[in-house]
Amino acid sequence: MNWVALRMLTGDRAKYLGIIFGVAFAALLMGQQLSIFCGLMRNTTSQIRDIEGADIWVMDQNVQFVDDVKPMSENELLRVRGVEGVSWAVRLYKGIGRARLDDGNFQQMILIGLDDATLVGAPRPDRIVHGELGDLRQPNAVFVDEFGWRYLFGKEPFQPGKTLEMNDKRAVIVGMCKCNPTFQTFPILYCTYSQAVQFLPQERKTLTFILAKGNDDLPKEQVCKAIEDQTGLRAQTNDQFFWTTIQYYMQRTGIPINFGITVMLGFVVGCAIAGQTFYLFTLENLKQWGALKAMGVSNLRLVGMILLQAVIVALIGYGLGIGGAALFGFVFQRAMTSTPPAFYFGWQILVGTAAAVVVISLAASLLSMRRVLFLEAGVVFR
Amino acid sequence: MLTRYILPLLGLIAFAFAVQQMTQAQQKTPPAVPPVEPAKSPFAKQLAGSGIIEPETENISIGTNLPGIVERVNVKVGDMVRPGVPLFRLDDRQLNAELVVRKAFLENAQATLEKLNNAPRPEELPPLRAKVAEMVANLDDQTKQLTRLQRLGAAASEDELTRREAGVAVAKAQLERAKADLALQEAGSWKFDRLVSQSAVKQAQAQVEQTGIELTRLTVKAPQLKWDATNSASDATEYKVLQVNVRPGEFVGTVQGQALIVLGYIGKLHVRVDIDENDIGRFRPNLPGFAQPRGNPHVKFPISFVRVEPYVIPKKSLTGLNTERVDTRVLQVIYRIESADLALYVGQQMEVFLNAAEGK
Repeated sequence: MNWVALRMLTGDRAKYLGIIFGVAFAALLMGQQLSIFCGLMRNTTSQIRDIEGADIWVMDQNVQFVDDVKPMSENELLRVRGVEGVSWAVRLYKGIGRARLDDGNFQQMILIGLDDATLVGAPRPDRIVHGELGDLRQPNAVFVDEFGWRYLFGKEPFQPGKTLEMNDKRAVIVGMCKCNPTFQTFPILYCTYSQAVQFLPQERKTLTFILAKGNDDLPKEQVCKAIEDQTGLRAQTNDQFFWTTIQYYMQRTGIPINFGITVMLGFVVGCAIAGQTFYLFTLENLKQWGALKAMGVSNLRLVGMILLQAVIVALIGYGLGIGGAALFGFVFQRAMTSTPPAFYFGWQILVGTAAAVVVISLAASLLSMRRVLFLEAGVVFR
Repeated sequence: MLTRYILPLLGLIAFAFAVQQMTQAQQKTPPAVPPVEPAKSPFAKQLAGSGIIEPETENISIGTNLPGIVERVNVKVGDMVRPGVPLFRLDDRQLNAELVVRKAFLENAQATLEKLNNAPRPEELPPLRAKVAEMVANLDDQTKQLTRLQRLGAAASEDELTRREAGVAVAKAQLERAKADLALQEAGSWKFDRLVSQSAVKQAQAQVEQTGIELTRLTVKAPQLKWDATNSASDATEYKVLQVNVRPGEFVGTVQGQALIVLGYIGKLHVRVDIDENDIGRFRPNLPGFAQPRGNPHVKFPISFVRVEPYVIPKKSLTGLNTERVDTRVLQVIYRIESADLALYVGQQMEVFLNAAEGK
């Protein structure tokens, strides 16, 4: 009987392809839009992922997300070090600086000031494309990120020694590193903390974050709690801070709504195309269904056959659609060299799209089932 | 063919590609290790502070007594100097010139006094004495003339007699005057005039001495060692010259806080630990601990408590900016570094960890 169902499905090639195209299109649209959305959201946290080496971010109580910097007193660092369970803690500057380029143009920069002694938060060796980390200790030295270099100097190949002017001071680019694409798209500059302070207009407080590491035998959340209790600051693990930042963008920007609408659109279009084609296809095959019914095939069996058809269509459609989305990302990420791409293809996208495809094919098959189940066998003879 | 095999196969391949892309995006890099491991504390309950190395005597910032141009500097950075040794000297030409003037004044005063002491001048007396003799002779002459006139009795006119009597009186008075003049000269200078002159000499002398002292003040010397003997780790009495900020030809003023030369007695090094005001409640004297130089967590220096600075001061921000930024207040505690390792330098910043669980 299943063979009959398959023959029925593939009998009309145009309709068969139509259904698969509907499902595949829906899956492609949803998968691709969700990936871009996730990529965009993930880009907001790129600095949290770039600054590695520590477990815990300590910040002012009112910080809402990673770019919302509220500088603290330098002494807070010592207080955090005094908290039980904190293995070490170092300072970190993260903020926006303004650089003057050779051509007189101004450019905003994401400035990351690393602890002078330890350079905690520096890019790991495999992320450094040119130069050595130790070069950061040279006077006025900065590292720039790959996208930043292209942003500033176009197609010019990297060469150390290029200078920028920040806060009337000279910044010499001594190295280049890979960084995760950012949301703000500004070039990223790495330098030492004391250097970063000089690259900024005079402020009374400059300590924006404290990077801490908890003792290995303690849960990080517990160390965070201890820091918050003892110092009154806000302490979050990397993951917590990641989600705090994403949550901020979800709540405060129109991005989730816009992308949600597109995803919904994909879903609706997919439902419409696939459902309609499947339904039409069932209608056209009503005679065959009637014959089967007249032959005494049970309703349960018929339902099974329809479901089988739906599953086949859904599987192929989903595979093609999600593969297309992946291909889009693959090409997109390689084609974009001057600007950081926003595309994240996580397992959640595969699962989410699959769930939507299941709903689409279920909805389509339910419509068809209703027709077949309430079909009179006599229709064959009309 | 297409519908039955190729399409499902295509779907499968596409799906496999998607899964491969997904796993690639999902890949998590192993946790990164900091380039230099930050200073760690082994204590369960700890108190952290930033410290700065200083000599046992603290930093002695040598100033100058007087403003002026530096003529010569006698010490180099790193020299060991004993107390009292000249460190640098200012230009002394002006004071030398003043000294000559003052000495001349002194000589003047001394000569004046000498003159008074040697009065009267011997040559001045004979004329006066002669004058007295003349006046005596004159009185004698006048007296004789009067006596002769009186002997005439009534023959002498009344008018003549009166004139002669007056002439005797005038001659007597003139004699008195000549005698008095002689006595004045013979007496020499008046006692009180001599006293005035003597004090003028003293004043001039004092001024000469004053200029002499000012001249010695132009030379700045290493101060005498004088601090709590219990703090002294050894009996060495030499300073190390830590910094020389003065060079010949420079103008130095008497501005407060200007460190022309920094001296320190380096017996054992001390570390001045800043403890945040919020943590003062957790600090108790005598907490044990250790210090680590910045950027080298593998070296630990044991430290022992010396004293607490009882005055809580505004914290100097140690960001390396030349403009100090004051943001909070800190309690300063002095610890001694119990190590003879001289890999530490005065002024070096340290990470200090104190064991807050002990010392209750």
